[in-house]
Order: sequence, then C-alpha cells, then structure tokens
Amino acid sequence: MTPLLLILAIAVPAAAGLLVLLLPSRRAPWAPAALAALTCAFELVLAVYIFPHDFAFTWPWMGFGAEFAVKLSRFSAFILLGIATFSFLVTAYSAVSMAKAPSSRRFHAWVLFTVALSAGAVLADNLILFLVFWEGLLLTLFAMIAAEKTRPFATAVKAFVIVGLTDLALMFGVMLTGHLAGTMSMSAIRLPLDGLGAVAFLLLMIGAMGKAGAMPFHSWIPDAAVDAPLPFMALLPGSLEKLLGIYFLARVSLDLFILTPASWVSTVLMGIGAATILLAVLMALVQRDYKKLLAYHAISQVGYMILGIGTALPVGIVGGLFHMVNNAIYKSSLFLSAGAVEKEAGTTDLRELGGLGRSMPITTICFLIAAASISGVPPFNGFFSKELVYDGALERGWIFYAIALAGSFFTAASFLKLGHAAFFGKPANAKRTVKEAPWPMLLPMIVLAGLCIVFGVANSLPLERLIQPVLGTAMKGAHGGTFAGFPTNMLLVGLTAGVLALAVANHAFGVHRTGRGIGAVDHIHHAPGLSSVYKLQATGALDPYRMLGGIVGVASRGLYALDRAIDWVYSGLAAQSALAVSWVLRKAHNGNVNRYVLWALAGAVAVVLAVLAVTGGGR
Amino acid sequence: MADRRAIATAARLYFVYATRIVDARAARSTGRGRELPFLRLRFPGDPAIIRRRAKGASLGRVGRRAVDGVWKEHERRNCASRGGVCPPGGGVPTGAVIILFSFDYIAHYENQNEYYTMAVVFLGAMMGLVFSSNLVYLYVFWEITGIASWRLIGFYRGKTDVLKADKAFLMTALGALVMLIGILAIHGLTGTFDLGAMKGTALPLGISALLLVGLLSKSATLPFQTWLPDAGVAPSPVTALLHAAVLVKIGVYVFARLFLSTFVFDEALRTIVASIAGASALVSAGAALVETDFKRIVAYSTVSQIGFIFLGLAMGNALGAAGALLYILMHGLAKAGLFLSAGIVEQNAGTKEITKLGGLMRSMPWTAVAFLLCAFSVMGIPPFGGFFSKYMVISAAVKADEMVFGAVFLAGALLTILYLFRLFTKVFLGEPHGVLAPEKSRLMVACVVLLAALSLVGGLAVGWPSELARVAISQMLGVAG
Repeated sequence: MTPLLLILAIAVPAAAGLLVLLLPSRRAPWAPAALAALTCAFELVLAVYIFPHDFAFTWPWMGFGAEFAVKLSRFSAFILLGIATFSFLVTAYSAVSMAKAPSSRRFHAWVLFTVALSAGAVLADNLILFLVFWEGLLLTLFAMIAAEKTRPFATAVKAFVIVGLTDLALMFGVMLTGHLAGTMSMSAIRLPLDGLGAVAFLLLMIGAMGKAGAMPFHSWIPDAAVDAPLPFMALLPGSLEKLLGIYFLARVSLDLFILTPASWVSTVLMGIGAATILLAVLMALVQRDYKKLLAYHAISQVGYMILGIGTALPVGIVGGLFHMVNNAIYKSSLFLSAGAVEKEAGTTDLRELGGLGRSMPITTICFLIAAASISGVPPFNGFFSKELVYDGALERGWIFYAIALAGSFFTAASFLKLGHAAFFGKPANAKRTVKEAPWPMLLPMIVLAGLCIVFGVANSLPLERLIQPVLGTAMKGAHGGTFAGFPTNMLLVGLTAGVLALAVANHAFGVHRTGRGIGAVDHIHHAPGLSSVYKLQATGALDPYRMLGGIVGVASRGLYALDRAIDWVYSGLAAQSALAVSWVLRKAHNGNVNRYVLWALAGAVAVVLAVLAVTGGGR
Repeated sequence: MADRRAIATAARLYFVYATRIVDARAARSTGRGRELPFLRLRFPGDPAIIRRRAKGASLGRVGRRAVDGVWKEHERRNCASRGGVCPPGGGVPTGAVIILFSFDYIAHYENQNEYYTMAVVFLGAMMGLVFSSNLVYLYVFWEITGIASWRLIGFYRGKTDVLKADKAFLMTALGALVMLIGILAIHGLTGTFDLGAMKGTALPLGISALLLVGLLSKSATLPFQTWLPDAGVAPSPVTALLHAAVLVKIGVYVFARLFLSTFVFDEALRTIVASIAGASALVSAGAALVETDFKRIVAYSTVSQIGFIFLGLAMGNALGAAGALLYILMHGLAKAGLFLSAGIVEQNAGTKEITKLGGLMRSMPWTAVAFLLCAFSVMGIPPFGGFFSKYMVISAAVKADEMVFGAVFLAGALLTILYLFRLFTKVFLGEPHGVLAPEKSRLMVACVVLLAALSLVGGLAVGWPSELARVAISQMLGVAG
C-alpha cells in the first residue's frame, strides 16, 4: 500500500473545494452541497481504509528544516477518522439545511478546504508544515463566518483576531521547540519541561487552546453562534476545532514534551481547564437563545478535556481524549437539533419556543439523548468520560474535582432549562404550526444520538480500539489494563448521581417559583453577588477581546504620538532652526560698509586667536 | 500623441530591462559556484542593448557611462552578487505590473513624459545599484534613485505636494551624505572602493553607524521614517513603486550587501539594528492604527514591515538572511497590491480619507477581494507568501537566542493584523458615504488581482522562491544554505 494515500486525504478535499468554487451554481444549486457530501464520504472511506496502517512520507520542501513530512500514527488515524465522520455528517445535513441559501457554494467550498487543512494538520509530521495547515484554518474559519455577505463581518474579524493571536503564540512556540530540539520533525522531538522548554510548552498550549476555544480565547464563539450558519457551528466550534485543539494539546503533552504530574505546568493546565468549565457554564446557564446556550457549553466542555489531559495521569488523559470524542458527538448533535428547530420554528429564541416535543418528536428524542449525555447521565457516553476525568482530577487535588463537579451541576441545570423551554411546556406561539424536520436533517442527528448510546454502553469499543492505543502500552488502567467498563470508584459515581438529583431538584424549584421552564434558573441568575457579575458581562466589559482592543488602542495612540514627535524634529525643529539661522545671517548682511569692515576685523581677530590657541600661545 | 510615444518608449525600455534578466539566451555563463539553471543572470543595463533599442532614450550620457563602467567591472570580476537576484526578482515583475497599472492611472494628468522618464530612470538606477560592486557606483546610483523619486513624489504640482517631495529628498539625501562620509572613511581604512577587495574587513562601529544612517533614511526606518507616509501625496503607482516594491528595499539590500557579505559581522551591530528595527516596527504599526488616510496607513505599514526585514538581516544567520530576501519579494508583491488598491479607491471615490469611505465592497468587489488577499499576505497568514518570510525572520531571531526580539516582532505581527482589518473594514464595509464609486478601469483592477494571485502562488509554491533565496544566501554568506 502506498503512502500516497495520505496525500490523497489532503489533496482530494482541496481539489473538490476548488471545483465547487468553479461550479456554475445558478444552473445546479444543489451541486456544491452534493459534491461536498460526496467528498467527505470519500474521506471517511479513506480514513477507515488507512486506519490500521502506519505510513510515513517525506518530501523535500523549502529547506531550513521545513520538509513536507506526513505520518499516520495511531493518534492521527483516530483523529482523521473523527474529522471525516463529522464533516460527512454535517455536509449531509447542510446539503438540505443550506440548499437554498445563496452562500451555499462558498460555504461548501470552505468546508472542503477546512477538511483538507484539518487532515493536513493532523497528518503533518513536521512542525512548520503543521503550522502552515493549522494557520491556514484561520482563513477558512474567517471565510465561513463571513460567508453570509457583510453582516457578520465584525464577528469574523473578532474570530480571526483572537485565533490569530493564539496562532502567533503557537508560531513562537514552534520556533522555540524547533530551536531547543534541533529538529522540526515532530516524531523526533522529546523535550524536558524546564526553563525555555516550559515557555515553549505554554506557547504551544495557547495555540491548542485557542483552536479548541478554551477561556480566555472563547468570546468569538457565542457571537458566531448568532451570526454564522448553523452547520458551521456544528462543524467547527462543535467538533473539528475541538478535535484538532485537543489532538495537538495531547500531542504536545504526550509526545513533544515530557509532562509529569509533578510539573507546575500540569497544574496550570488543570487550573485553566477548571476555570473554563465553571465560568463558561455559568454563562451558558443564563442564556435565552438556543444557539448561544450551546455555544457556551461548547466552551465549557473543553475545560473537561484540558483538565483531564492536564492531570498527566493515564486515567485523566484517556478521559480527556474520550471526552473529546464524546463531546464532538453530542455537541454536533445538539447544534444540529438547534438547526432543525430554527428551520421549522423560525427562531431559536427560547422565549418564543415551547411545546415542540409533540410536533418534532424525533428531534426531541435526539435532543434528550444528547442532553443526557452532556449532563453525564449513565449509561450515555458523557458519563463515562467524565468519570474518568473526575478520577484523575481527584487524584491531583480535591479542588479541581469539586469545580468539575459543580460544572456538572450547572450543565445539567441549563439543559433541563433548555429542554423544558423548547420542547415541553406550552407553545409560546399557538398559531404557528411546526412540522418535523426533513429526513436528511434528521438522519445525522439520529446517527449521532445512536453513537452517544453505543459509545456509552459499549465503551470498550472507542476506548480499547481508538484511545488506549494512542497512549501505548506504558499506561495501564486500573483493572486489567483497560479503562473500559463501568467506573470502579463507586464514591465518584454516587457523588455524580447526587449532583444530578440536585440539578433536578433545583429545576423543580425554579419552575415552581416562576411557573415557566425558561425561568428555571432565575434564582441563580438574580442571586446576590452573581447578578452584578452577569450584568457586567452583558455589557461586554468582561470580554477579553474588548480588553485587548482597549490596551491596543491606548498603546497605539502613544506610539503615534512618538511618531509625530519624531516628525516634528524634521518638519518643525529643523525647518525652524534653518529659518532662524538665515534670519540671523540676513540681519548681519545689511549692506552697510562699516558693518562689513567690522565683521572682517572680528574675523581676523578670531583667526589669529584660533591659531594662537592651536599652536599653544606665545612661546 | 507625444504622450503615447513616451508611453511606448517607456514600456519598451522597461521591458528591455525585464526581459534581459530572465533571458537565458543571452547568458554567457561566467559564474563561479552554483548557477541557477532557470535564471542565468546578465547585467540588465547591457550597453549593447541600450544602444540598439533605446537610442538616446533616457538614461543619458552620464548614466550610460556609469553603466558602462559597472558593466566592465562586472565582466572583469563577475562580482555582481547573486544576492542581487532577489530585489530585481521581486522588483522587476512588481515594477512591470505597476507600470502597466499607471497606463490608465496617469492618463488623466499632465507631465506624463516626466513621469515615465523618471520611472524608467529610477528602475534603471535601481538595477545599476543592485549590480554595482564598487562603493562609488553604489553611491551614484543611490543618489540617482533619490532624484528620480523626488520628481516622482512631486508629480502633482500643488504646494504641499512639492513640499512633501522636498522633504523626502532632503531626508534621504541627508542620510546619503552621512553615508558618503562613511564610504570615504572605509576608503581611508582599506584603500579601495571595491567591495570584493575589502571583503573580510572588520569595520569599526563608528563607520558602521555612519553607513547605517544612510541605509535607515533610505529605508524609512526609525528615526527617519516620517518622509514615507508624507510621500503618500504622490500618485498611487509611484507610492507603490517607491514604497512597496523598490526604493525602500534599496537600503535593506545594501545593508545585506555590506554587512552580511562584505564586512565582518559585528555582534554589537546586531543588537543596535534589531532594536531600531523593533522600535520602528512597533511605532509605525501603532501609527497605522491611528491614522485615517488610506495611503498613509499603508505607508506606515511599509515602515513596520521593513523592520521585519532588518530583523532577519541583523540576526546574521542564513535563515534570517534568506527570510529577509523572501520578505523583500513577498512584501513587495503584496504591498504593491495594497497601494494600487488604494489608487483605485482614491481615483474613483475622490478621497483617501477612510472616515469618508465605506461600503465599497458592493461597488468594487474585485478590488476589495484583491485587497483582502494582499492584506492576508502582509499579515503573514498561510498559504500566502508573507507567512513564510515572516516565519523565517522571527525564527531566525529565536535561533540566534534573541527571544525578546522575537516577542517584539510577534507583537508587531499582531498589530499588523489589527490595522489591516481596521483599514479593510472602514473602506470596504460598513455604511457607504455618498455615491458608491465603481471600478472604472479594467486594466487597473486586473493589475491588483494579478498581484494578489502572485502573493498566493508565491506561498503555495514557496519551494521555488525559497530555493532562490537559499542559493543567493549561500553565495552571500559563503556558507551552504
């Protein structure tokens, strides 16, 4: 079997993307979506086909350590499979949901480029090549948000600037890593975490977290949820970016650097993970828009993955990676359900939704499965991965575990609220008749919901086939070298069950208090102390992007003043002093002969004095 | 009629330069070391060609004699540095597109003869400078470019236009005079003006500083940067030619020529130049974020990007020098695109004040997209060419253990993203002010689109320009790239 298959995995989507851009879209408006779905299907077949192999392929490129080196490892094969699966499901879905949108052609072209670049980033075995693919994703991200004409351009710029900032950090990290290791070949690098190594690690980590959307690089995601087309949300912030970001984070922690639980870097990672979980879920809790609520959860769930990998313990890392897969499954399913609701009910504002359970039963069931999964209800997949992360977190410190558990409580509470407000209760608008979404939109949701169950009930399948091989044989699980099966630590399971029960009780209390599903968390929203923070957040003052803008604004005005000051030296000072000198000289030359004789005498005296001074005076 | 003839002469003369460079037929290989198979160099001002094709056209007797001298020098010692490949390699195609652009742009104005003559004199002097191997010739051509750019900037005859042209000339000429003192001091030190003969000389820091003043003033780097934004009063093709493609790169190129390939590289100089470059990159990027004049913003951006090139050269390793040469090429292409877009907007909308512009995406879609693509290249986003050069120069800083400089230039790169997006948003998006001006000239738009496409191709097929830079550097530094 030839390793050129790897090149195909990158080149075929890219070529298809170009083809889509060239298609005459007026005559065949369905063609771009169909071609995109077909290409992603091909990618999926290819990913399955090459999965068991180990390929490597190197091509000389631009010199200075940059080689076109691609390599298929256990890990990259697994992520490639994920990328192909999710892009296939989303394009199958968007073929219907975006069939009539004028931006369909551009959108699908960019989806295909995204798939190509993601495949490239996962397969790259050279840091510079990786960087090219990784940063290239910045362009497709920008273009997909901006695909809908000019309206969401501000959001696209925001996403570009935030992710671009983290990409610059990543670039610096790549340079440092290459410099320290003396090679750019990723599979040859293995650095200790000390001094500059730690700096390089942190920079690479910023890049990975920026892609995954962890705090504080998150604030474009909720904006994009409102402005960008929905399949975009399911594809990029929902699944692909998480896969890529966590892939790279794990790659950095496991391969490029030697991360041990004793290292302070590990604690930093866990801290960021825990903070992301709690802060983002608190924001999700009070959202009144289906898509925005999901967007904040997309941020919050990254926290679990970073926390898991940050523990630097086998159980935590396996949990983090498993959670990455699970999150991609249930989060894209949830986003797709939001798309179905938006298409059929015409809005995603929770205040105008309600009672959809009767008219959209299949969507409702898919939503319920995915929501139970994200909330960590057994036997769905989210439960198992969260337990593994908890296990690792508790071993490293109870505070991390406590925060993660609190995150679970709020996650469950917000999904109870969302489900109640959207699918149950009374319809807010009784006149509107809502139908079930068409089958091509339902099928991807059903497949994903089915995966939620399969990956939960039969969790040995993903864990033993996909994730544990990544870690190699060095890291053994608690019983029999595997992490599959039901959690062994019954204390953790009990606490999880307790938290879930508490969330249900909280929901019942809230609904009883306000009488509406949407008001289920009002008592938390308006709690003393929290409410002022929420108010401040609503004004955008806590948005890191806004803060960056402020800092840059002040700095640039200072720099501009400096520039003007330098200019003044030439335009002001130099010109004025030239004028002053010429004024003095002009005054001296007034045409009076006596004056000129005087000048001549004074000059002669000056010359004599100068000569005397130089020769050392009257000897 | 006279105008048209002038255009024809100018174009023909220009393409003599352009074609001679890549004309493999004319190449009598006299090279030492590695020869590029696809680009055999010949001196572009080959006197035989000038005599045959452009009788009495523009270089003038003095210029021709100078050219003859350099040519003999070249024949005798074959010392035209192959490092000279990159500035013309970037400058020639870019310059060709810019001249093409000005066919439509300049057609509305008087003094076209002067314009084309000066443009050709400028490019010719640039070529002469690149292939000079003698400090005196270098200085002469240096000043010819200064005079030509003075007339080009002062193309419009308004009071401020003339003043700004004078300012540009005075500031660069001042620097050149200081440099001349440095050149004389070098002669005092080595007894020769020949660059080849003085190879390996260790230059005292004082003389280096004298030379540096000239280089920095020509390249519009802090503290001599302010003539460049002011020169934005010139017609857009002129600003593109001077500020993006060629003129400001002269200083950078001569820096490489003198300090990298001729003299022994001084460690103290590295810190000095890198500090100046860093300050220059940040100050002008900050200014670009505050300015409200389209062309001034792009000009400040040029000042900022020149800092990156100096950084690459100052690090003194092969990676940085190759990155700097690539940077000259990539930045030239993309920045020319930005200036020419500014020209289209300015000419059709009648203003270059970005607060009075907006929503032009609708009426100028091609210009807007081409602008955005060129902007991506300047920002350094893969797969555009600008990414690779930016990566290489910052990476060179890391390689030289100058982490602080690396971080400073990363901040510069972030500011680049911010000010270019600010510019794009203000001009092409948002609410329109007044009538939305359409793109009138197809030729002009085609030029901008071509530059955007070249920026993209330069990145996708980066192996080719990178190979070019590597060979040039291996010759300049005398090391295997």
